[in-house]
Amino acid sequence: MSDQVLNQVLIAIIAVVVAPFIGGFLAGIDRKLTARLQGRYGPPILQPFYDFFKLLGKSKIATSRTQFIWLISYLVFMIACLVFLVLQQDLLLLVFLLGFAGISFVLAGFSTKSPYSHFGANRELLQILSYEPILLLFALAVYAENGSFMISSIMENSTPLLVSLWPVFIAVLVALTIKMRKSPFDISTSHHGHQELVKGIMTEISGPYYALVTLTEWYELVLVLGLIALFWSNPLWVGILIALAAFILELLIDNINARVTGGLMVRICWAAALVLCVLNILYIYFMRGVA
Amino acid sequence: MDIQWWMLAVAILLPVVAAVLVFLIRQYQLRGLIVILTAAVLIVNSIYFLKLELPVSFTPDNPIWGTIITVLDYAMLLFYIYVGLSLKNWLVLIFALTQIIPLAWWEFGLGASHALEEIKPAFLIDNLAVLMVLVISIIGSLICVYAIRYMYDHEEHKHLEKSRQSRFLFWLVLFLGAMNGLVLADNLMWLYFFWEVTTLCCFQLIAHDLTKEAINNGARALWMNSIGGTAMVAAMIYLYNANGGNIEYLSLSNIIASGGAEAFLLLPVALMCFTGMIKAAQMPFQNWLLGAMVAPTPVSALLHSSTMVKAGVYLVLRLAPAFNPVLGMIVAVCGAFTFFAASVLAISQTTGKRVLAYSTIANLGLIIACAGLRTELAIAAAMLLIIFHAISKGLLFMCAGTIEHQIWSREIEDMEGLAEKAPLTTFITITGMLSMFLPPFGMLLGKWMALEAVYAVPLAAILFVLASAATMVFWAKWLGRLLQVTPKLGKKIESLSLSYSVPLWSLFVGIFVFGFAVAPLYDRFIRGAVNNVVAVQHAFTEGWQIVLPDAATALSLEKGVELLGSYPVVALFIVFAVAIVLPLLFVKLKPQELKPVYLCGEQVGDVDTDEWYAEADNVSKLELGGYYFKGAASEESLNTWVYVVAISLLVIMFSIVLGVSL
Repeated sequence: MSDQVLNQVLIAIIAVVVAPFIGGFLAGIDRKLTARLQGRYGPPILQPFYDFFKLLGKSKIATSRTQFIWLISYLVFMIACLVFLVLQQDLLLLVFLLGFAGISFVLAGFSTKSPYSHFGANRELLQILSYEPILLLFALAVYAENGSFMISSIMENSTPLLVSLWPVFIAVLVALTIKMRKSPFDISTSHHGHQELVKGIMTEISGPYYALVTLTEWYELVLVLGLIALFWSNPLWVGILIALAAFILELLIDNINARVTGGLMVRICWAAALVLCVLNILYIYFMRGVA
Repeated sequence: MDIQWWMLAVAILLPVVAAVLVFLIRQYQLRGLIVILTAAVLIVNSIYFLKLELPVSFTPDNPIWGTIITVLDYAMLLFYIYVGLSLKNWLVLIFALTQIIPLAWWEFGLGASHALEEIKPAFLIDNLAVLMVLVISIIGSLICVYAIRYMYDHEEHKHLEKSRQSRFLFWLVLFLGAMNGLVLADNLMWLYFFWEVTTLCCFQLIAHDLTKEAINNGARALWMNSIGGTAMVAAMIYLYNANGGNIEYLSLSNIIASGGAEAFLLLPVALMCFTGMIKAAQMPFQNWLLGAMVAPTPVSALLHSSTMVKAGVYLVLRLAPAFNPVLGMIVAVCGAFTFFAASVLAISQTTGKRVLAYSTIANLGLIIACAGLRTELAIAAAMLLIIFHAISKGLLFMCAGTIEHQIWSREIEDMEGLAEKAPLTTFITITGMLSMFLPPFGMLLGKWMALEAVYAVPLAAILFVLASAATMVFWAKWLGRLLQVTPKLGKKIESLSLSYSVPLWSLFVGIFVFGFAVAPLYDRFIRGAVNNVVAVQHAFTEGWQIVLPDAATALSLEKGVELLGSYPVVALFIVFAVAIVLPLLFVKLKPQELKPVYLCGEQVGDVDTDEWYAEADNVSKLELGGYYFKGAASEESLNTWVYVVAISLLVIMFSIVLGVSL
């Protein structure tokens, strides 16, 4: 038993240490690829890391006394989600934890008295309203398929989830677009120049605090790609390839789409959640009833 | 006399005596002292209930109690008729008559009154009842203590010539006794009596301020709950007559023992369930609770947290074993629909207390849905939700009252930057709000369990999921209004009267203590209460566990049990501590690190200002409004649909029940 505990702790530590490197590297690929798609040369792959350390080296500046607490909370809850994932814990609880992370970021936006930051925070809330049902239904769909909410049960199942849950997979890809802040759903802030000038919810975040947010985004990217990899968990490398393919697909979607309005985003996502996820779950439910 | 007699007397009769005393005593300090003493005795007494060998039944030897209850029943109904006539409110009158006429016809016309005296036991003390007594006595008492000072400030602000605080406290304290009686009663006639007393107290408290709006809203609460009373009278008469004049099924325990097997019981069970849903302000009857917010805030705190609406969910939960699968499923869908609709409607509300009210309605819907699901996990979720909702919502309403007495407004927009004016109150309020919907707190544990249990009814599951998302939005929106501060303002911490701060801090501590110790809490007494509803197997050792799984997968391999879900309480609290508590305590900003926000240089002065140059260079205060989505989520645009769906669900429920029993 104690061996297993030690093992678990080790896995958790490795994940927490390695994830930002993967996330930062993927962010570098993102920038390079996006630049090429836009006919630019683009920065070196390691540019996100250079940026990160530059930000860390700056002196601390804040426009609010409480904002940094919510930013730390954003990071810590995101790391907790990742630990839950690698320790193969409860998927539904993981989604709730991710919810706390998201809400923390929104509250960070709200806790400064700045109009731009508030615009961003309100829009971030719309994003949560959009993707939260998809992720919760994803957890329910896993329960429908496996009879358990534990991620460990997904890993033990020899049939990939993708076979029976492909509509849910498509819906999760929609959620991934929001989570990666990519067009057409980069409502609250974006990586593109057209919003970077006054960067929505990020407006009042600078220096080391901005580095903190960047770090959290890397964790988030790894986490969400990890959730996608769950769709083909046996063998896991297929799942990882699928996740990477999904990542590249997001970059393409980002560059061929214009941003939609917040209301339209909510409608698209709820439609995706209701049509794809619900039909998928009902299908499994009734097939089980028939059998 | 038996120890049970004394404990019941303290729980039910002491508040009555205390209520009379506070009504007679017109001196502020002495009256306050009596309320505080009563609160202390009630709390201690409720804890002593845990020591009883449960379940225990009790019937007072003296038949006089039965007679008193019958007399008071008719007195109350006659009073309702009087209210209906004097306010010219025909709905109140009609639904008072629909209770009193059948009741009199049944008891005296058919001559049932003699048989009714034989119903035994009068009270049944089991784990579920004790759980409710604890919630009522502890949280309800704290709210009464809070009300002492609140009503003083309230009248000070209104410049009343003649103090009406005594009258207010009379109904408030009486309410606790009636609620205790309600959850302990087993005899349906007694249950009905206590039920009516809570309706009466509720009416009196809502109408307390005697404004036109207060009286109208009180009357609305009265007639809506009278519909429930009518349904209960109908259920009782049916139970008696359809069983050939036998009193067997006029006691709750016998109805429950039938386990849903007797087809003729289904209709009365559905009727009583309907009664409970009205009292729990389920759609389409949500308006009485929304209207109740005109009353002074302690009333809302009491109605929403430990009394009144909890009586409604208690009755549904109590009757859950007597549902048949179809009725259970419909109740689950009704509850889930209310959860969803109320959460969405809460997004567009601009008044703080109205958001709280919709959130209460939503959570009651969730609890009722859990009662309808009737699995062990769902029932356990319902009970945890009852406890944690009572703590958090009691706290939040008291915070709302305290805020109101600092800014004299209930509007969320007016709370902008509250942290500058009242940092302490804001801090407690924010914690209360976080505890309503985020991990690691108890409410989320309940919601998590509910979601893991709901798969059996997919329609309810979908509604749950959408409602959860909407819940996050309306809380975060309000939190956002409270949080924003101009960095250099707001350093002074306000002082609160003891009558405010003791109840506030008690519940604040309660959130953390009960949230953290939820596993022992569950083992010690919630499991027993769940057992009163469904047979407990070993849900939390097999399948679901809420203790720290230091290696959840390892555990499942070791014991050969497949783990279905896991909620590591301790780990979650550690994450919360690292994320929020430690930075709050140990990280401090230096003054030179604070800078003004990005406003293109348009601000007047430096960091310590919240003014800017607006149109035509006028100096204006910087104000940031919230989003309320009035177009998509407002009551005007949604209410029609809400009523259509909610009423159809009720019609479906009764058609099916009638189809089965006829």
